Amino acid sequence: MWAFLTRTQGRGRLTLVDWLSYGYLAFGFLLIFIPVVWLGLNSVKTAFQIERQDISLIPGDYTRVARATVQGPDGKRIFFITDLPDWVLNWRDLSAADQAAQDVAGFLSAQTGDAALALRSHLGQTEPQALAVIAAQGLPDWLPRYRTMSASAKAEVNIEAALAGLSPANDRLLREFTGLYPGARLTSQILVSAPDPQTGEIRQWGVSNIDIKRAFTPARPVDAVNAKVTKLPTASLQADRNVQIAWENYIDPLSGSSYGVTVDFTRCLTNSVIVTIVGTAITLLINSMAAFALSKYKFRGQVMFLALILATLMVPPTITLVGVFKAIQATGISGSLWGIIIPGSATPAGVFMLRQYMLTLPDELIEAARMDSASEWKIFWKIVAPLALPAIAALGILSIVWRWNDLIVPLVAVATVKEAYTIQLCLLEFRGEHTSQEHYRLAMTMVSLIPTTLVFVFLQRYITTGIANSGMK
Amino acid sequence: MTSIQLKNIKKSYGKTEVIHGIDLDIPSGEFCVFVGPSGCGKSTLLRMIAGLEDVTAGDLLIDGARVNGISAAKRGLAMVFQSYALYPHMSVRKNLSFGLENINLPKAEIKSRVEDAARMLQIDGYLDRKPGQLSGGQRQRVAIGRAVVREPRAFLFDEPLSNLDAELRVATRGEISALHQRLGNTMIYVTHDQVEAMTMADKIAVLRAGRLEQFGAPLELYNAPANMFVAGFIGSPRMNFLKAGLIAGAGQTILRLQDGQDIALSTDRFGRPASRPAVMGIRPGDLEITDSDAPLHMQVTAVEQLGSESILFGTSPCDEELVVTARGQTAVRVGDRLNLRPNPDAIHVFDAQSEESLALQ
Ligand SMILES: Nc1ncnc2c1ncn2[C@@H]1O[C@H](COP(=O)(O)OP(=O)(O)OP(=O)(O)O)[C@@H](O)[C@H]1O
Ligand SMILES: [Mg+2]
Repeated sequence: MWAFLTRTQGRGRLTLVDWLSYGYLAFGFLLIFIPVVWLGLNSVKTAFQIERQDISLIPGDYTRVARATVQGPDGKRIFFITDLPDWVLNWRDLSAADQAAQDVAGFLSAQTGDAALALRSHLGQTEPQALAVIAAQGLPDWLPRYRTMSASAKAEVNIEAALAGLSPANDRLLREFTGLYPGARLTSQILVSAPDPQTGEIRQWGVSNIDIKRAFTPARPVDAVNAKVTKLPTASLQADRNVQIAWENYIDPLSGSSYGVTVDFTRCLTNSVIVTIVGTAITLLINSMAAFALSKYKFRGQVMFLALILATLMVPPTITLVGVFKAIQATGISGSLWGIIIPGSATPAGVFMLRQYMLTLPDELIEAARMDSASEWKIFWKIVAPLALPAIAALGILSIVWRWNDLIVPLVAVATVKEAYTIQLCLLEFRGEHTSQEHYRLAMTMVSLIPTTLVFVFLQRYITTGIANSGMK
Repeated sequence: MTSIQLKNIKKSYGKTEVIHGIDLDIPSGEFCVFVGPSGCGKSTLLRMIAGLEDVTAGDLLIDGARVNGISAAKRGLAMVFQSYALYPHMSVRKNLSFGLENINLPKAEIKSRVEDAARMLQIDGYLDRKPGQLSGGQRQRVAIGRAVVREPRAFLFDEPLSNLDAELRVATRGEISALHQRLGNTMIYVTHDQVEAMTMADKIAVLRAGRLEQFGAPLELYNAPANMFVAGFIGSPRMNFLKAGLIAGAGQTILRLQDGQDIALSTDRFGRPASRPAVMGIRPGDLEITDSDAPLHMQVTAVEQLGSESILFGTSPCDEELVVTARGQTAVRVGDRLNLRPNPDAIHVFDAQSEESLALQ
């Protein structure tokens, strides 16, 4: 391998041409490879990182800190809560199962003061606790609905009377719950260390994001309550990154446990595999039989057929799209996988390519087979098809790649039927009910690249054998 | 055993007719050679017999049954192609058995036939190789083997030796003849090499431009060619042709050469033809170099010494080309002037117009 890679055209020293060749090779390699690497790295970023639009190449995240905003009797209090466990910081990005697995009540009971208020609302405990209080104290049954009631409906009930006599803690809980009082908020911020512009002393700060294009980054010191926003020079910020590979981007959709997405990825994958295999098989069969007839039989109208096939090559597929849609609708295969498979079954380019290859097979072979009492069917299967294998393999690769990557035909054929989605439609439609779930989409795009790569690796062998056999090209 | 008859067979490609009506009767068990210059229609004729080309007009009979409309697969003939046409993706064994599998022969029978044929043709060592891994001669044998295993009613060969070198060609020629001896099948063999035709054939059909010129045993064609074309085509070196006038005299017929020399023709061979312009034909071996006066003269322009015989090339006084073969080695040099006496029994006379032989059949 190494000997091959370091082979030079002259003896000994590398010549200028060698260097240029290496340079060209490396350039071409990078050109093809960089986007794939970029996709690969992005596909293992956490949902959190992707939503932040963190363009860093390294999957993982900055060390974070929680910033709490709590409304109190004497105004807003903004302060930082350090040393929170990851699951608390990332609570909103956890799946329902992961959330259920945490001991939320236990964690909250250990908290005190304003931090407890902020965490209670962050961890979604305001509602269950409020409902428990309503039930325990026998409060009016419209209270749980109060937040969503219309203004006129709210005027008919007396909320203040209902809340009278509660303990201060419960009063606050229900006021937050009914929306009378702004709830406490917790946001995750990047923890940076930077010198204080006034004192020059190194302090820890919370910033919402780091954009190196901006000269200054607004920040709040972590160790102060209600501190003013300070503008720190972005260049002076020091942030810690922890590399974190989010395999769950792959595992969740593939195991069907991705939270709140609208399409079933494994189903799409299966559909695509079926469409690709069946479609390619049909394409190869139809195209090679047509090519056989056009290259080895003489019949009336042969030239016209060929001209017709070539003429269809000139028509851009987008033009026929409406026709295809109508045809699929009319034949009733719309919405099933057949609707995707059948429209692309016979490809003029494929017929033409195979015909050109079959023309190079000597007629005498077919005549010899006829003398050997072979039926025409047998001649096709036993003589022509095996000998045209290099061309068939090449067409096979093209067909597989095309089928796998095709978006247009599935869009036309099955857009309304989620069960028949192929992988490309899936990727297009892949999003959560409320959020975009971009992390899953990136990972699944990566998965969608694997089959075509494998197919190429396995089938290219046949193409090269063919070239070696014929001794041409 | 299989006889093959052609009755006024014609073939046209579109509007051009390439075979103009051929009648031929190949008796059972005969080795028949089609010979003729390139493009004369030998292959076309053979392919029509095989069933690979449609017959445009006329009747083709195998064993007396008309087969014009019967497909190649059903005619029961086997063909060996010039390019061998071995299936490149199949092993030699598979090449041999393919035709047998197609007619659903039992496995054991296929195996024994393949092995017998392989042994007979000495290809049993390469049965598991692909054709690409064989030499030209070995491929040739496989191609013949593929025909032999079928046990066909008749064998058809289309220039099977043209891709072999000279030595192998001679050896394979002998083997095909031996094969014919052993199997006794009817065989039709196409070649443009008259030596192959002469050495192998029971009967030769000489074709020219889609017409049958003569059909007969090799020596028949050599000794009594029907016309100048056959006379010139059969025999090596070629027969000499000299323009002459045929003069019917009172007692005998005289052939007067252009330089005024007279040669008397025997009435036994030629009867009493009328006077007319004619061409005299004489084979190079039938001219004797003599010191005494003789009707033919030649100025030597080239000498080929082959050891056992010498070939002398030259021109007659009227600038017609002459070739003479002499036994053994010769002292004749370029520039010498030779007197040549033709063997009177070997003189051929052709009508100058029709080029037909004037000899009595
Ligand atoms: N498919 C065809 N279409 C038109 N003309 C053809 C076709 N095949 C053969 N011919 C013509 O028919 C004539 C006979 O061809 P054929 O192949 O039989 O010659 P041949 O005697 O076998 O010559 P060779 O010794 O060179 O093989 C030729 O003049 C050729 O041009
Ligand atoms: Mg030929």
